[in-house]
Amino acid sequence: MAEATEKYQQTGPKVRVNQKEELVYTWPYLVSIEAIMAIAMILALSLMATFVNAPLLELANPEKTPNPAKAPWYFLGLQELLLHMHPALAGVIVPTAALILLAMIPYIDRDPRGTGIWFSTRKGLPITIFSAVYTWIWEIVLILIDEFWVTTPAGTDTVLKGIEPHITYFLDKTFPFMTQPGWPGWSWVGKILLPAALMVTIPWVLAVIVKRRWKANTRELMIALFTFYFASFILLTIVGTAFRGHSMQLMWPWEVTAPH
Amino acid sequence: MGLWAKFKNTTLYKSIYRNEYPDTPRNQVLVILNSLVLHLHPVKVPRRAVRVSYTWGLGGLSLLMFLILTVTGVWLMFYYVPAVPDAYLSMRALETDVIFGQFTRNLHRWAAHGMVLAVWLHMVRVFYTGAYKPPRDFNWVIGVILFTVTVLLSFTGYLLPWDQLAYWAIAVGSEMAGSTPVIGREARMALLGGHTIGQATLVRWYTLHVLLLPLACIALMAMHFWRVRKDGGISTPIPYEEDEAEARAEG
Repeated sequence: MAEATEKYQQTGPKVRVNQKEELVYTWPYLVSIEAIMAIAMILALSLMATFVNAPLLELANPEKTPNPAKAPWYFLGLQELLLHMHPALAGVIVPTAALILLAMIPYIDRDPRGTGIWFSTRKGLPITIFSAVYTWIWEIVLILIDEFWVTTPAGTDTVLKGIEPHITYFLDKTFPFMTQPGWPGWSWVGKILLPAALMVTIPWVLAVIVKRRWKANTRELMIALFTFYFASFILLTIVGTAFRGHSMQLMWPWEVTAPH
Repeated sequence: MGLWAKFKNTTLYKSIYRNEYPDTPRNQVLVILNSLVLHLHPVKVPRRAVRVSYTWGLGGLSLLMFLILTVTGVWLMFYYVPAVPDAYLSMRALETDVIFGQFTRNLHRWAAHGMVLAVWLHMVRVFYTGAYKPPRDFNWVIGVILFTVTVLLSFTGYLLPWDQLAYWAIAVGSEMAGSTPVIGREARMALLGGHTIGQATLVRWYTLHVLLLPLACIALMAMHFWRVRKDGGISTPIPYEEDEAEARAEG
């Protein structure tokens, strides 16, 4: 990806050709670490299980929908996406694409240099930090716009909240032929086209910046794109868990009450 | 001779442990080779690969939590009835009637969350250390599948208490699956075993949770660990000549 003249700036310890890797006996050097970590983990989990009870609410009742109804925490990032786009995109296409793209990483980055070294090259860590901040700024701004862009068009009592209703309202007014019976209407622009375009464009622009600014090679490009996934997962999960309360509205964590 | 030393001299003891305490190089080799569990390791490992700050032990911790979940899970099965509403009643019974019932359920719950987290962090570690690179490329793919199976294991278990939290989390989840393009209705039907979340869903998810997914997980883990060895053990920096690379770049 980078020009062939770009030097591969591997960081960390250098292993010279023909240099033998220093070996130690598995017993006790590795087995002892494994034993200590296992004991510490069992202890920590036992303590937690002693003092923190697993939740158990009342008997399941299909008639009584709690507000908010939330999925387990590792799906709350996807549930957050669900608030901003079509459910097929948020719930199925994005996670499937994410898993396939993750699995593809080693088939795109075939260069074995940089194996076994945190961030591989000198540019690895700066690119990681930049990519995370870049991703978070984009996503926080988009979430805030989607939450707080609320207008009421003059002469109506329709309340438009978020990006998609505004686009749909504008397009419906301008090109009303799509809203005839049997026609799909305009909501797909804001629900499918725009979010899909953003989810492709944001990492794409990131890749372009990283290539220009750092003359990134394939590994460094992978670091940027993986960080986009990694940072998104963290941000969306935190927002979905701690900042979404009654009716899935955005609020401060201390305002989020238990579902009722 | 002490009693323990005498016992160590018996045929019974020698039939179980074939080597002396591993404090000599010879016995440090034999202890790994002669033990079913330890022989997953090589006899020697690179010094840099055993640094905690390199791996954070996350793969091993994932396995540990899988084992904790297996033990507590089998124990919970003694008391759990996968039926509506008996499932919920057995959860209540675990809290009030069964000795260590609450503790074991708590342990199962927290280890389950811990395993999802550990597996995910393990993937993050492997990525940032470049340990997915050839020849470990296919093992990374197995790892991504293992991550998926782990999440499915956790998600199928989420329904089993049959309380409001379980029911509505699964309602949200299966709504998402129902919006799959083209096969949405079929996907939802297959997941729920009907049009709504009910007895059929519970039995289906219970079977997945206690039988099919753990078996899949074990098979994949076996492959994953075996390949770690076959692909050259824990990743270490490959030999790399900076001058040579430079020379090639200039030439």
